[in-house]
Amino acid sequence: MSTLSELAIAVEAGKRNDAKALTLGLLDDGMQPLDIVEQGLVPGMSAIGEKFKNNEVFVPEMLIAARAMKECMGILEPLLAQAGIKPKYTAVIGTVQGDLHDIGKNLVAMMLKGANFGIVDLGTNVPPEKFVAAIKEHDAHLVCLSALLTTTMPAMKSTVQAVREAGLTSVKIMVGGAPVTQDYSDEIGADGYSPDAASAVDLATKLADSI
Amino acid sequence: MPIPNLTIIGESINDSVPSTHKFFEANDIAGLKNLAIAQDVGGAGYIDVNVGSRTGEFLAEMVRQVQSVTAKPLAIDTPDPAMSEAGLRAYDSARAGGKMPILNSISELRMEMFELYRIMPFMPILLASERMENGAGQPNHTAEEVYQTALRMVRAAAKHGIPVDQCIIDPAISPIGADTDGRFHCLMGAIRLIHGDSELKGVHMSVGLSNFSVMIPPKRPDGSPSKSPLESAFLTMAVPMGMDFVIGSVKRKYQLLEPDHPAMVCLDDCLKLEGFDVIMRVQEYYTN
Ligand code: B12
Repeated sequence: MSTLSELAIAVEAGKRNDAKALTLGLLDDGMQPLDIVEQGLVPGMSAIGEKFKNNEVFVPEMLIAARAMKECMGILEPLLAQAGIKPKYTAVIGTVQGDLHDIGKNLVAMMLKGANFGIVDLGTNVPPEKFVAAIKEHDAHLVCLSALLTTTMPAMKSTVQAVREAGLTSVKIMVGGAPVTQDYSDEIGADGYSPDAASAVDLATKLADSI
Repeated sequence: MPIPNLTIIGESINDSVPSTHKFFEANDIAGLKNLAIAQDVGGAGYIDVNVGSRTGEFLAEMVRQVQSVTAKPLAIDTPDPAMSEAGLRAYDSARAGGKMPILNSISELRMEMFELYRIMPFMPILLASERMENGAGQPNHTAEEVYQTALRMVRAAAKHGIPVDQCIIDPAISPIGADTDGRFHCLMGAIRLIHGDSELKGVHMSVGLSNFSVMIPPKRPDGSPSKSPLESAFLTMAVPMGMDFVIGSVKRKYQLLEPDHPAMVCLDDCLKLEGFDVIMRVQEYYTN
Protein backbone atom coordinates (compact mmCIF):
# COMPACT_ATOMS: atom_id res chain seq x y z
CA MET A 1 0.00 0.00 0.00
CA SER A 2 1.37 3.38 -0.93
CA THR A 3 1.52 5.99 1.73
CA LEU A 4 1.18 9.73 1.79
CA SER A 5 4.69 10.19 3.12
CA GLU A 6 6.08 8.13 0.25
CA LEU A 7 4.19 10.41 -2.11
CA ALA A 8 5.58 13.53 -0.41
CA ILE A 9 9.11 12.11 -0.73
CA ALA A 10 8.62 11.22 -4.40
CA VAL A 11 7.36 14.75 -5.16
CA GLU A 12 10.23 16.33 -3.29
CA ALA A 13 12.71 14.17 -5.22
CA GLY A 14 10.95 15.02 -8.48
CA LYS A 15 10.30 11.35 -9.28
CA ARG A 16 7.24 11.98 -11.38
CA ASN A 17 6.55 8.39 -12.40
CA ASP A 18 6.75 7.17 -8.83
CA ALA A 19 4.63 10.09 -7.67
CA LYS A 20 1.94 9.36 -10.24
CA ALA A 21 1.92 5.66 -9.40
CA LEU A 22 1.65 6.48 -5.70
CA THR A 23 -1.21 8.90 -6.37
CA LEU A 24 -3.09 6.26 -8.32
CA GLY A 25 -2.34 3.73 -5.58
CA LEU A 26 -3.73 6.01 -2.90
CA LEU A 27 -6.88 6.62 -4.94
CA ASP A 28 -7.27 2.85 -5.35
CA ASP A 29 -7.04 2.52 -1.59
CA GLY A 30 -10.01 4.83 -1.33
CA MET A 31 -8.20 7.93 -0.20
CA GLN A 32 -9.97 11.23 -0.92
CA PRO A 33 -8.31 13.38 -3.64
CA LEU A 34 -8.24 16.42 -1.37
CA ASP A 35 -6.42 14.46 1.33
CA ILE A 36 -3.87 13.30 -1.22
CA VAL A 37 -3.26 16.92 -2.22
CA GLU A 38 -3.12 18.29 1.29
CA GLN A 39 -1.20 15.46 2.96
CA GLY A 40 0.95 14.23 0.07
CA LEU A 41 1.64 16.88 -2.53
CA VAL A 42 1.60 19.96 -0.30
CA PRO A 43 4.16 18.59 2.20
CA GLY A 44 6.37 17.41 -0.67
CA MET A 45 6.46 20.86 -2.28
CA SER A 46 6.83 22.57 1.04
CA ALA A 47 9.87 20.40 1.87
CA ILE A 48 11.63 21.21 -1.38
CA GLY A 49 10.70 24.88 -1.02
CA GLU A 50 12.27 24.97 2.41
CA LYS A 51 15.50 23.42 1.10
CA PHE A 52 15.55 25.94 -1.75
CA LYS A 53 15.15 28.80 0.69
CA ASN A 54 18.17 27.46 2.62
CA ASN A 55 20.28 27.00 -0.53
CA GLU A 56 20.39 23.22 -0.07
CA VAL A 57 18.82 22.69 -3.48
CA PHE A 58 18.72 24.88 -6.58
CA VAL A 59 16.30 25.92 -9.30
CA PRO A 60 16.61 22.67 -11.33
CA GLU A 61 15.52 20.58 -8.32
CA MET A 62 12.57 22.93 -7.74
CA LEU A 63 11.46 22.70 -11.35
CA ILE A 64 11.73 18.92 -11.40
CA ALA A 65 9.75 18.58 -8.16
CA ALA A 66 7.11 20.98 -9.44
CA ARG A 67 6.69 18.91 -12.57
CA ALA A 68 6.04 15.81 -10.47
CA MET A 69 3.50 17.74 -8.40
CA LYS A 70 1.80 19.09 -11.50
CA GLU A 71 1.45 15.66 -13.06
CA CYS A 72 -0.16 14.31 -9.89
CA MET A 73 -2.45 17.31 -9.87
CA GLY A 74 -3.35 16.40 -13.43
CA ILE A 75 -4.77 13.14 -12.09
CA LEU A 76 -6.44 14.69 -9.07
CA GLU A 77 -7.87 17.92 -10.47
CA PRO A 78 -10.65 16.34 -12.55
CA LEU A 79 -11.69 14.31 -9.49
CA LEU A 80 -11.69 17.39 -7.31
CA ALA A 81 -13.72 19.27 -9.90
CA GLN A 82 -16.23 16.41 -10.13
CA ALA A 83 -16.65 16.51 -6.38
CA GLY A 84 -17.15 20.27 -6.58
CA ILE A 85 -14.07 20.93 -4.50
CA LYS A 86 -12.30 24.15 -5.35
CA PRO A 87 -9.07 25.42 -3.85
CA LYS A 88 -9.81 27.60 -0.86
CA TYR A 89 -7.99 30.58 -2.33
CA THR A 90 -7.37 31.85 -5.84
CA ALA A 91 -4.31 33.88 -6.83
CA VAL A 92 -3.78 35.82 -10.04
CA ILE A 93 -0.09 36.01 -10.94
CA GLY A 94 1.93 37.70 -13.66
CA THR A 95 5.05 39.65 -14.59
CA VAL A 96 4.35 43.36 -14.93
CA GLN A 97 4.16 45.34 -18.14
CA GLY A 98 7.40 45.70 -20.09
CA ASP A 99 9.05 42.79 -18.29
CA LEU A 100 9.54 39.41 -19.94
CA HIS A 101 11.27 37.54 -17.12
CA ASP A 102 9.22 34.61 -15.88
CA ILE A 103 11.43 31.99 -14.24
CA GLY A 104 10.96 33.39 -10.73
CA LYS A 105 7.28 34.12 -11.31
CA ASN A 106 6.76 30.54 -12.49
CA LEU A 107 8.45 29.18 -9.37
CA VAL A 108 6.16 31.24 -7.17
CA ALA A 109 3.14 30.02 -9.17
CA MET A 110 4.29 26.40 -8.83
CA MET A 111 4.84 26.71 -5.09
CA LEU A 112 1.42 28.29 -4.63
CA LYS A 113 -0.16 25.58 -6.74
CA GLY A 114 1.74 23.09 -4.65
CA ALA A 115 0.17 24.65 -1.57
CA ASN A 116 -3.25 24.13 -3.16
CA PHE A 117 -3.98 27.67 -4.27
CA GLY A 118 -5.99 28.09 -7.45
CA ILE A 119 -3.64 29.82 -9.89
CA VAL A 120 -4.49 32.13 -12.78
CA ASP A 121 -1.19 32.76 -14.55
CA LEU A 122 -1.35 35.75 -16.90
CA GLY A 123 2.21 35.25 -18.17
CA THR A 124 4.64 38.11 -18.78
CA ASN A 125 4.35 41.74 -19.89
CA VAL A 126 0.92 42.04 -18.31
CA PRO A 127 -0.71 45.50 -18.40
CA PRO A 128 -2.45 46.77 -15.22
CA GLU A 129 -5.94 46.53 -16.72
CA LYS A 130 -5.42 42.85 -17.47
CA PHE A 131 -4.60 42.18 -13.82
CA VAL A 132 -7.72 44.09 -12.79
CA ALA A 133 -9.92 42.17 -15.25
CA ALA A 134 -8.56 38.80 -14.11
CA ILE A 135 -9.05 39.61 -10.42
CA LYS A 136 -12.69 40.44 -11.14
CA GLU A 137 -13.29 37.47 -13.41
CA HIS A 138 -11.84 34.93 -10.99
CA ASP A 139 -12.87 36.61 -7.78
CA ALA A 140 -9.25 36.35 -6.71
CA HIS A 141 -8.11 36.63 -3.12
CA LEU A 142 -4.56 37.49 -4.08
CA VAL A 143 -2.67 39.08 -6.91
CA CYS A 144 1.07 38.41 -7.23
CA LEU A 145 3.22 40.81 -9.23
CA SER A 146 6.73 39.98 -10.36
CA ALA A 147 9.36 42.40 -11.76
CA LEU A 148 13.03 41.70 -12.53
CA LEU A 149 14.03 45.00 -14.05
CA THR A 150 14.50 48.26 -12.20
CA THR A 151 12.93 49.88 -15.26
CA THR A 152 9.70 47.93 -14.83
CA MET A 153 9.32 48.51 -11.10
CA PRO A 154 7.23 51.64 -11.87
CA ALA A 155 4.83 49.35 -13.77
CA MET A 156 4.44 47.43 -10.53
CA LYS A 157 3.48 50.65 -8.81
CA SER A 158 0.93 51.57 -11.48
CA THR A 159 -0.56 48.07 -11.28
CA VAL A 160 -1.03 48.44 -7.52
CA GLN A 161 -2.70 51.80 -8.17
CA ALA A 162 -4.96 50.37 -10.85
CA VAL A 163 -6.09 47.56 -8.55
CA ARG A 164 -6.83 50.02 -5.74
CA GLU A 165 -8.58 52.46 -8.05
CA ALA A 166 -10.78 49.68 -9.42
CA GLY A 167 -12.18 49.44 -5.90
CA LEU A 168 -10.95 45.86 -5.42
CA THR A 169 -10.47 46.42 -1.73
CA SER A 170 -10.53 42.82 -0.56
CA VAL A 171 -7.80 41.50 -2.86
CA LYS A 172 -4.35 41.30 -1.31
CA ILE A 173 -1.39 42.39 -3.41
CA MET A 174 1.95 40.58 -3.16
CA VAL A 175 5.11 41.73 -4.92
CA GLY A 176 8.48 40.16 -5.58
CA GLY A 177 11.42 39.72 -7.95
CA ALA A 178 15.15 40.31 -7.49
CA PRO A 179 15.21 44.15 -7.39
CA VAL A 180 12.05 44.45 -5.25
CA THR A 181 12.41 45.05 -1.51
CA GLN A 182 10.14 45.29 1.52
CA ASP A 183 10.71 49.05 1.48
CA TYR A 184 9.58 49.28 -2.10
CA SER A 185 6.55 47.16 -1.36
CA ASP A 186 5.60 49.54 1.47
CA GLU A 187 6.27 52.56 -0.67
CA ILE A 188 3.91 51.50 -3.46
CA GLY A 189 1.24 50.32 -1.05
CA ALA A 190 1.37 46.57 -1.71
CA ASP A 191 0.24 44.23 1.06
CA GLY A 192 3.36 42.13 1.22
CA TYR A 193 6.74 41.18 -0.21
CA SER A 194 8.74 38.03 0.08
CA PRO A 195 12.23 37.30 -1.20
CA ASP A 196 11.72 33.74 -2.46
CA ALA A 197 9.11 31.28 -3.65
CA ALA A 198 8.94 29.28 -0.41
CA SER A 199 8.31 32.27 1.83
CA ALA A 200 5.84 33.55 -0.79
CA VAL A 201 3.60 30.62 0.21
CA ASP A 202 3.72 31.56 3.90
CA LEU A 203 2.96 35.16 3.05
CA ALA A 204 0.13 34.23 0.66
CA THR A 205 -1.47 32.02 3.28
CA LYS A 206 -1.17 34.71 5.94
CA LEU A 207 -2.64 37.39 3.68
CA ALA A 208 -5.48 35.23 2.39
CA ASP A 209 -6.39 34.08 5.90
CA SER A 210 -6.58 37.72 6.98
CA ILE A 211 -9.29 38.61 4.45
CA MET B 1 45.31 30.24 -22.20
CA PRO B 2 42.83 33.05 -22.94
CA ILE B 3 40.57 32.48 -25.93
CA PRO B 4 42.01 34.22 -29.00
CA ASN B 5 39.81 36.91 -30.57
CA LEU B 6 37.45 37.02 -27.61
CA THR B 7 36.95 40.42 -26.01
CA ILE B 8 35.74 40.49 -22.43
CA ILE B 9 33.51 43.34 -21.33
CA GLY B 10 34.21 43.29 -17.58
CA GLU B 11 30.90 42.92 -15.80
CA SER B 12 31.76 43.89 -12.20
CA ILE B 13 30.58 47.51 -12.11
CA ASN B 14 26.90 46.59 -12.15
CA ASP B 15 24.37 47.60 -9.54
CA SER B 16 22.66 44.20 -9.76
CA VAL B 17 25.82 42.46 -8.49
CA PRO B 18 25.20 42.34 -4.72
CA SER B 19 28.80 43.15 -3.68
CA THR B 20 28.90 46.09 -6.10
CA HIS B 21 25.46 47.26 -5.00
CA LYS B 22 26.97 47.83 -1.56
CA PHE B 23 29.61 50.15 -3.04
CA PHE B 24 26.90 52.12 -4.82
CA GLU B 25 24.74 52.35 -1.72
CA ALA B 26 27.70 53.53 0.34
CA ASN B 27 28.71 55.93 -2.46
CA ASP B 28 32.13 54.26 -2.29
CA ILE B 29 33.55 55.64 -5.52
CA ALA B 30 37.07 54.47 -4.65
CA GLY B 31 35.76 50.90 -4.27
CA LEU B 32 34.09 51.14 -7.68
CA LYS B 33 37.23 52.55 -9.28
CA ASN B 34 39.20 49.64 -7.83
CA LEU B 35 36.85 47.27 -9.63
CA ALA B 36 37.69 49.08 -12.86
CA ILE B 37 41.42 48.80 -12.21
CA ALA B 38 41.22 45.11 -11.28
CA GLN B 39 39.33 44.31 -14.48
CA ASP B 40 41.67 46.39 -16.62
CA VAL B 41 44.68 44.56 -15.19
CA GLY B 42 42.82 41.25 -15.41
CA GLY B 43 42.46 41.53 -19.16
CA ALA B 44 39.09 43.13 -19.82
CA GLY B 45 38.84 44.80 -23.23
CA TYR B 46 36.03 47.08 -22.08
CA ILE B 47 34.74 48.07 -18.65
CA ASP B 48 30.96 47.86 -18.23
CA VAL B 49 29.31 50.65 -16.25
CA ASN B 50 25.81 49.89 -14.99
CA VAL B 51 24.58 52.10 -12.16
CA GLY B 52 21.07 50.63 -11.95
CA SER B 53 18.21 53.08 -11.65
CA ARG B 54 20.13 56.16 -10.64
CA THR B 55 20.31 59.48 -12.44
CA GLY B 56 21.96 60.31 -15.73
CA GLU B 57 24.17 62.75 -13.85
CA PHE B 58 25.37 59.96 -11.61
CA LEU B 59 26.12 57.71 -14.57
CA ALA B 60 28.02 60.57 -16.24
CA GLU B 61 30.07 61.05 -13.09
CA MET B 62 30.81 57.30 -12.93
CA VAL B 63 31.96 57.38 -16.55
CA ARG B 64 34.40 60.18 -15.70
CA GLN B 65 35.57 58.49 -12.52
CA VAL B 66 36.16 55.14 -14.21
CA GLN B 67 37.96 56.78 -17.11
CA SER B 68 40.22 58.54 -14.62
CA VAL B 69 41.70 55.16 -13.67
CA THR B 70 41.58 53.19 -16.91
CA ALA B 71 42.37 53.82 -20.55
CA LYS B 72 40.15 50.92 -21.58
CA PRO B 73 36.98 51.90 -23.45
CA LEU B 74 33.69 51.59 -21.57
CA ALA B 75 30.38 49.85 -22.15
CA ILE B 76 27.60 52.18 -21.05
CA ASP B 77 24.98 49.82 -19.76
CA THR B 78 21.46 51.10 -19.27
CA PRO B 79 18.22 50.61 -21.16
CA ASP B 80 17.21 54.18 -20.27
CA PRO B 81 17.68 56.55 -23.25
CA ALA B 82 18.15 59.69 -21.12
CA MET B 83 20.75 58.00 -18.93
CA SER B 84 22.51 56.62 -22.01
CA GLU B 85 22.72 60.14 -23.39
CA ALA B 86 24.27 61.47 -20.20
CA GLY B 87 26.78 58.61 -20.13
CA LEU B 88 27.75 59.09 -23.78
CA ARG B 89 28.18 62.84 -23.36
CA ALA B 90 30.55 62.26 -20.46
CA TYR B 91 32.64 59.69 -22.33
CA ASP B 92 36.11 60.80 -23.41
CA SER B 93 37.18 58.76 -26.41
CA ALA B 94 40.66 60.34 -26.51
CA ARG B 95 41.27 58.91 -23.04
CA ALA B 96 40.41 55.47 -24.46
CA GLY B 97 42.94 55.77 -27.27
CA GLY B 98 40.26 56.94 -29.69
CA LYS B 99 38.08 53.89 -29.13
CA MET B 100 34.34 54.44 -29.14
CA PRO B 101 32.23 53.13 -26.26
CA ILE B 102 29.80 50.24 -26.43
CA LEU B 103 26.15 51.10 -25.77
CA ASN B 104 24.31 48.27 -24.02
CA SER B 105 21.66 47.98 -25.29
CA ILE B 106 19.21 48.93 -28.02
CA SER B 107 16.18 46.76 -28.73
CA GLU B 108 13.17 47.16 -30.99
CA LEU B 109 11.39 48.41 -27.90
CA ARG B 110 13.69 51.43 -27.68
CA MET B 111 14.81 52.28 -31.21
CA GLU B 112 15.02 55.98 -30.37
CA MET B 113 18.38 55.21 -28.77
CA PHE B 114 19.92 55.11 -32.25
CA GLU B 115 19.48 58.90 -32.32
CA LEU B 116 22.21 59.14 -29.67
CA TYR B 117 24.74 58.14 -32.32
CA ARG B 118 24.86 61.79 -33.40
CA ILE B 119 26.07 62.80 -29.95
CA MET B 120 28.84 60.23 -29.68
CA PRO B 121 29.52 57.35 -32.08
CA PHE B 122 29.29 53.98 -30.36
CA MET B 123 29.17 50.24 -30.96
CA PRO B 124 25.58 49.29 -30.18
CA ILE B 125 24.66 46.02 -28.53
CA LEU B 126 21.51 45.02 -30.40
CA LEU B 127 19.29 42.90 -28.21
CA ALA B 128 17.63 40.27 -30.36
CA SER B 129 15.65 38.43 -27.68
CA GLU B 130 12.60 40.64 -27.97
CA ARG B 131 10.75 42.22 -30.86
CA MET B 132 8.14 44.84 -31.45
CA GLU B 133 4.98 43.48 -32.98
CA ASN B 134 1.77 45.45 -33.49
CA GLY B 135 3.02 48.06 -31.07
CA ALA B 136 3.78 45.62 -28.26
CA GLY B 137 6.94 43.92 -27.03
CA GLN B 138 7.10 40.16 -27.55
CA PRO B 139 9.73 37.67 -26.41
CA ASN B 140 11.40 35.72 -29.21
CA HIS B 141 11.23 31.97 -28.75
CA THR B 142 12.71 30.52 -31.92
CA ALA B 143 16.10 30.82 -33.58
CA GLU B 144 14.42 32.24 -36.67
CA GLU B 145 12.67 34.97 -34.63
CA VAL B 146 15.93 35.96 -32.93
CA TYR B 147 17.76 35.99 -36.24
CA GLN B 148 15.06 38.05 -37.99
CA THR B 149 15.07 40.58 -35.16
CA ALA B 150 18.87 40.80 -35.36
CA LEU B 151 18.66 41.41 -39.09
CA ARG B 152 16.07 44.18 -38.68
CA MET B 153 18.15 45.82 -35.97
CA VAL B 154 21.35 45.77 -38.06
CA ARG B 155 19.42 47.33 -40.96
CA ALA B 156 18.03 50.00 -38.62
CA ALA B 157 21.57 50.69 -37.40
CA ALA B 158 22.73 51.12 -41.00
CA LYS B 159 20.05 53.78 -41.53
CA HIS B 160 21.67 55.73 -38.72
CA GLY B 161 25.08 55.41 -40.30
CA ILE B 162 26.32 52.53 -38.14
CA PRO B 163 28.13 49.95 -40.29
CA VAL B 164 27.51 46.25 -39.78
CA ASP B 165 31.01 45.60 -38.42
CA GLN B 166 30.36 48.12 -35.67
CA CYS B 167 27.23 46.29 -34.46
CA ILE B 168 27.20 43.69 -31.70
CA ILE B 169 24.22 41.35 -31.73
CA ASP B 170 23.11 39.92 -28.38
CA PRO B 171 21.10 36.78 -29.14
CA ALA B 172 20.41 36.47 -25.36
CA ILE B 173 21.62 33.60 -23.26
CA SER B 174 19.33 32.06 -20.63
CA PRO B 175 20.23 30.01 -17.58
CA ILE B 176 20.82 26.42 -18.62
CA GLY B 177 19.62 25.27 -15.19
CA ALA B 178 16.09 26.52 -15.90
CA ASP B 179 15.99 25.59 -19.56
CA THR B 180 12.84 23.53 -19.88
CA ASP B 181 11.59 25.13 -23.08
CA GLY B 182 14.40 24.85 -25.60
CA ARG B 183 16.17 28.16 -25.02
CA PHE B 184 19.66 26.76 -25.49
CA HIS B 185 18.59 25.19 -28.79
CA CYS B 186 17.13 28.52 -29.81
CA LEU B 187 20.34 30.37 -28.89
CA MET B 188 22.69 28.05 -30.75
CA GLY B 189 20.36 28.02 -33.76
CA ALA B 190 20.22 31.82 -33.80
CA ILE B 191 24.02 32.12 -33.59
CA ARG B 192 24.32 29.71 -36.50
CA LEU B 193 21.80 31.66 -38.63
CA ILE B 194 23.46 35.00 -37.87
CA HIS B 195 26.91 33.60 -38.62
CA GLY B 196 25.71 32.07 -41.87
CA ASP B 197 24.10 35.20 -43.34
CA SER B 198 26.37 37.05 -45.77
CA GLU B 199 24.45 40.28 -45.15
CA LEU B 200 25.66 40.08 -41.54
CA LYS B 201 29.27 39.40 -42.45
CA GLY B 202 31.57 41.16 -40.00
CA VAL B 203 28.93 41.65 -37.34
CA HIS B 204 29.97 40.98 -33.73
CA MET B 205 28.11 38.86 -31.22
CA SER B 206 27.99 39.00 -27.45
CA VAL B 207 26.12 37.44 -24.53
CA GLY B 208 25.97 38.09 -20.81
CA LEU B 209 27.84 34.90 -20.09
CA SER B 210 27.40 34.71 -16.32
CA ASN B 211 23.66 34.43 -16.84
CA PHE B 212 24.21 31.00 -18.41
CA SER B 213 25.28 29.34 -15.18
CA VAL B 214 23.21 31.14 -12.54
CA MET B 215 20.85 28.90 -10.57
CA ILE B 216 23.16 25.91 -10.33
CA PRO B 217 25.39 25.07 -7.34
CA PRO B 218 28.87 26.58 -7.55
CA LYS B 219 30.76 23.30 -7.04
CA ARG B 220 30.65 19.73 -8.20
CA PRO B 221 30.96 16.94 -5.59
CA ASP B 222 34.73 16.68 -6.13
CA GLY B 223 35.03 20.33 -5.15
CA SER B 224 35.79 21.54 -8.67
CA PRO B 225 33.88 24.60 -9.93
CA SER B 226 30.73 23.85 -11.90
CA LYS B 227 29.98 27.19 -13.50
CA SER B 228 33.09 28.36 -15.34
CA PRO B 229 33.54 25.07 -17.25
CA LEU B 230 29.95 25.31 -18.53
CA GLU B 231 30.61 28.88 -19.65
CA SER B 232 33.85 27.80 -21.33
CA ALA B 233 32.01 24.92 -23.00
CA PHE B 234 29.48 27.36 -24.41
CA LEU B 235 32.31 29.53 -25.76
CA THR B 236 34.01 26.49 -27.27
CA MET B 237 30.83 25.99 -29.29
CA ALA B 238 30.00 29.64 -30.02
CA VAL B 239 33.36 31.34 -30.69
CA PRO B 240 33.91 29.43 -33.96
CA MET B 241 30.46 30.70 -35.02
CA GLY B 242 31.37 34.35 -34.54
CA MET B 243 30.81 35.00 -30.85
CA ASP B 244 33.66 37.45 -30.26
CA PHE B 245 32.52 39.44 -27.19
CA VAL B 246 31.18 38.45 -23.80
CA ILE B 247 30.02 40.45 -20.86
CA GLY B 248 31.71 38.43 -18.20
CA SER B 249 34.23 38.05 -15.44
CA VAL B 250 38.00 38.34 -15.88
CA LYS B 251 38.35 36.01 -12.91
CA ARG B 252 36.63 33.10 -14.62
CA LYS B 253 39.56 32.34 -16.98
CA TYR B 254 37.46 31.24 -19.93
CA GLN B 255 39.17 28.69 -22.15
CA LEU B 256 38.49 26.42 -25.09
CA LEU B 257 37.74 22.91 -23.82
CA GLU B 258 38.56 19.50 -25.22
CA PRO B 259 35.56 17.58 -26.59
CA ASP B 260 35.73 15.02 -23.78
CA HIS B 261 35.60 17.58 -20.96
CA PRO B 262 32.54 16.80 -18.77
CA ALA B 263 31.07 20.27 -19.36
CA MET B 264 31.48 19.85 -23.13
CA VAL B 265 29.86 16.44 -23.06
CA CYS B 266 27.03 17.91 -20.99
CA LEU B 267 26.28 20.75 -23.42
CA ASP B 268 26.61 18.43 -26.42
CA ASP B 269 24.04 16.18 -24.80
CA CYS B 270 21.79 19.14 -23.98
CA LEU B 271 21.63 19.98 -27.67
CA LYS B 272 20.30 16.49 -28.35
CA LEU B 273 17.74 16.61 -25.53
CA GLU B 274 14.45 18.42 -25.11
CA GLY B 275 12.26 19.84 -22.37
CA PHE B 276 13.06 18.80 -18.83
CA ASP B 277 15.69 16.33 -20.00
CA VAL B 278 17.99 19.31 -20.54
CA ILE B 279 17.93 20.43 -16.90
CA MET B 280 18.13 16.83 -15.75
CA ARG B 281 21.30 16.42 -17.80
CA VAL B 282 22.71 19.58 -16.24
CA GLN B 283 21.78 18.21 -12.83
CA GLU B 284 23.67 15.04 -13.65
CA TYR B 285 26.70 17.18 -14.57
CA TYR B 286 26.82 19.00 -11.25
CA THR B 287 25.88 16.09 -9.01
CA ASN B 288 28.34 13.55 -10.43
C1 B12 C 1 17.02 34.70 -17.25
C2 B12 C 1 17.28 36.16 -17.47
C3 B12 C 1 16.83 36.73 -18.67
C4 B12 C 1 16.09 35.93 -19.72
C5 B12 C 1 14.62 35.79 -19.29
C6 B12 C 1 14.04 34.44 -19.61
C7 B12 C 1 12.77 34.19 -18.88
N1 B12 C 1 11.87 33.49 -19.52
O1 B12 C 1 12.57 34.61 -17.75
C8 B12 C 1 16.27 36.85 -20.98
C9 B12 C 1 17.54 36.42 -21.70
C10 B12 C 1 15.14 36.86 -21.99
C11 B12 C 1 16.53 38.20 -20.32
C12 B12 C 1 16.33 39.41 -20.96
C13 B12 C 1 16.67 40.64 -20.40
N2 B12 C 1 17.27 40.84 -19.22
CO1 B12 C 1 17.54 39.46 -17.90
N3 B12 C 1 18.17 38.23 -16.65
C14 B12 C 1 17.97 36.94 -16.50
C15 B12 C 1 18.75 36.42 -15.27
C16 B12 C 1 20.00 35.73 -15.78
C17 B12 C 1 18.05 35.48 -14.34
C18 B12 C 1 16.70 35.93 -13.80
C19 B12 C 1 16.05 34.76 -13.14
O2 B12 C 1 15.30 34.03 -13.77
N4 B12 C 1 16.43 34.47 -11.88
C20 B12 C 1 16.04 33.25 -11.16
C21 B12 C 1 14.73 33.39 -10.44
C22 B12 C 1 14.38 32.09 -9.75
O3 B12 C 1 14.90 34.42 -9.48
P1 B12 C 1 13.89 35.62 -9.36
O4 B12 C 1 13.30 35.95 -10.66
O5 B12 C 1 14.52 36.70 -8.56
O6 B12 C 1 12.68 35.01 -8.50
C23 B12 C 1 12.76 34.63 -7.15
C24 B12 C 1 12.41 35.76 -6.17
O7 B12 C 1 12.76 37.04 -6.64
C25 B12 C 1 10.96 35.59 -5.91
N5 B12 C 1 9.97 36.22 -6.79
C26 B12 C 1 9.98 36.45 -8.10
N6 B12 C 1 8.82 36.98 -8.51
C27 B12 C 1 8.03 37.08 -7.43
C28 B12 C 1 6.74 37.55 -7.29
C29 B12 C 1 6.15 37.55 -6.02
C30 B12 C 1 4.76 38.06 -5.86
C31 B12 C 1 6.88 37.10 -4.90
C32 B12 C 1 6.28 37.14 -3.58
C33 B12 C 1 8.18 36.61 -5.06
C34 B12 C 1 8.75 36.61 -6.31
O8 B12 C 1 10.79 34.19 -5.97
C35 B12 C 1 11.64 33.62 -6.98
C36 B12 C 1 12.08 32.25 -6.53
O9 B12 C 1 12.65 32.22 -5.26
C37 B12 C 1 19.08 37.77 -14.52
C38 B12 C 1 20.44 37.82 -13.84
C39 B12 C 1 20.48 37.16 -12.52
N7 B12 C 1 21.60 36.61 -12.20
O10 B12 C 1 19.50 37.18 -11.78
C40 B12 C 1 19.02 38.80 -15.66
C41 B12 C 1 18.58 40.23 -15.34
C42 B12 C 1 17.35 40.20 -14.46
N8 B12 C 1 18.23 40.74 -16.67
C43 B12 C 1 18.60 41.96 -16.86
C44 B12 C 1 18.42 42.69 -18.06
C45 B12 C 1 19.00 44.10 -18.09
C46 B12 C 1 17.75 42.12 -19.15
C47 B12 C 1 17.51 42.83 -20.49
C48 B12 C 1 17.04 44.27 -20.41
C49 B12 C 1 18.78 42.62 -21.31
C50 B12 C 1 19.53 43.82 -21.84
N9 B12 C 1 20.82 43.85 -21.58
O11 B12 C 1 19.03 44.66 -22.53
C51 B12 C 1 16.43 41.91 -21.13
C52 B12 C 1 15.03 42.46 -20.87
C53 B12 C 1 13.90 41.63 -21.36
C54 B12 C 1 12.60 42.18 -20.84
N10 B12 C 1 11.99 43.12 -21.54
O12 B12 C 1 12.17 41.78 -19.79
C55 B12 C 1 19.26 42.55 -15.61
C56 B12 C 1 18.33 43.46 -14.83
C57 B12 C 1 19.04 44.67 -14.27
C58 B12 C 1 18.08 45.45 -13.46
N11 B12 C 1 18.17 45.29 -12.15
O13 B12 C 1 17.25 46.15 -13.98
C59 B12 C 1 19.69 41.24 -14.85
C60 B12 C 1 19.76 41.38 -13.33
C61 B12 C 1 21.06 40.87 -15.45
C62 B12 C 1 22.15 41.89 -15.16
N12 B12 C 1 23.02 41.61 -14.22
O14 B12 C 1 22.25 42.93 -15.76
N13 B12 C 1 16.97 38.05 -19.05
